[in-house]
Amino acid sequence: MSAVIKTATPFIDLECLCKALEAVGCGFRVEGNKVITNREDLRLGFQEFQKDTFGRYALFAYSYADKTQADFIKIVEKQYNVIYQNKLEEIERLRLEEEKKRLEQERLAFIDKQKTTIIERAKEQGYSIKEENIKGKVKLVLLRNTY
Amino acid sequence: MAEQRIVVTIDENGKINASTEGIKGKMCLDELQKLLGDLADLESIKKTDEFYQANTIKSQNKIEVKK
Repeated sequence: MSAVIKTATPFIDLECLCKALEAVGCGFRVEGNKVITNREDLRLGFQEFQKDTFGRYALFAYSYADKTQADFIKIVEKQYNVIYQNKLEEIERLRLEEEKKRLEQERLAFIDKQKTTIIERAKEQGYSIKEENIKGKVKLVLLRNTY
Repeated sequence: MAEQRIVVTIDENGKINASTEGIKGKMCLDELQKLLGDLADLESIKKTDEFYQANTIKSQNKIEVKK
């Protein structure tokens, strides 16, 4: 006799697991490394997810092959994967926003340095300086009188 | 008394446009070189007629540099 088993996605992110449980309408509370659900269990009282040595939240329940448990894991897994994917996309979006901000600051700092350098050099050359900002552009008018 | 005027515009990307007025002959490019020399790579220089008229009172030349 042989058996083929398929495991569910390991629940490694607590936040996603909690959101997944909420999404499937399963009540729960978090206590340390445990997520105790309101699903009753024959032996344990309530089924709970416990963080194991691999870093995943594993469901502790009466029977490994329990059909209702497997079904429960399946629907939680489905939600978990969606939520986890959304979280990754959000992280990527925030990362890109941060990168965009950094580039913008770099660009503004560069322009400011250009402007400051030109003004300093113009002063050294005896020019008077008038500065204007027009639609994001910096205009410097340098004037000097010679005899 | 003659007025020398340089107008420098820095756009949103740091690209610089500069033009001179009242600076005779080659001196206008020297002045721009002193101000902008190492700030950006030169893209183009447009010498106006006045550039070649070293003794005229007014010359106008334009320089454009990349960021």
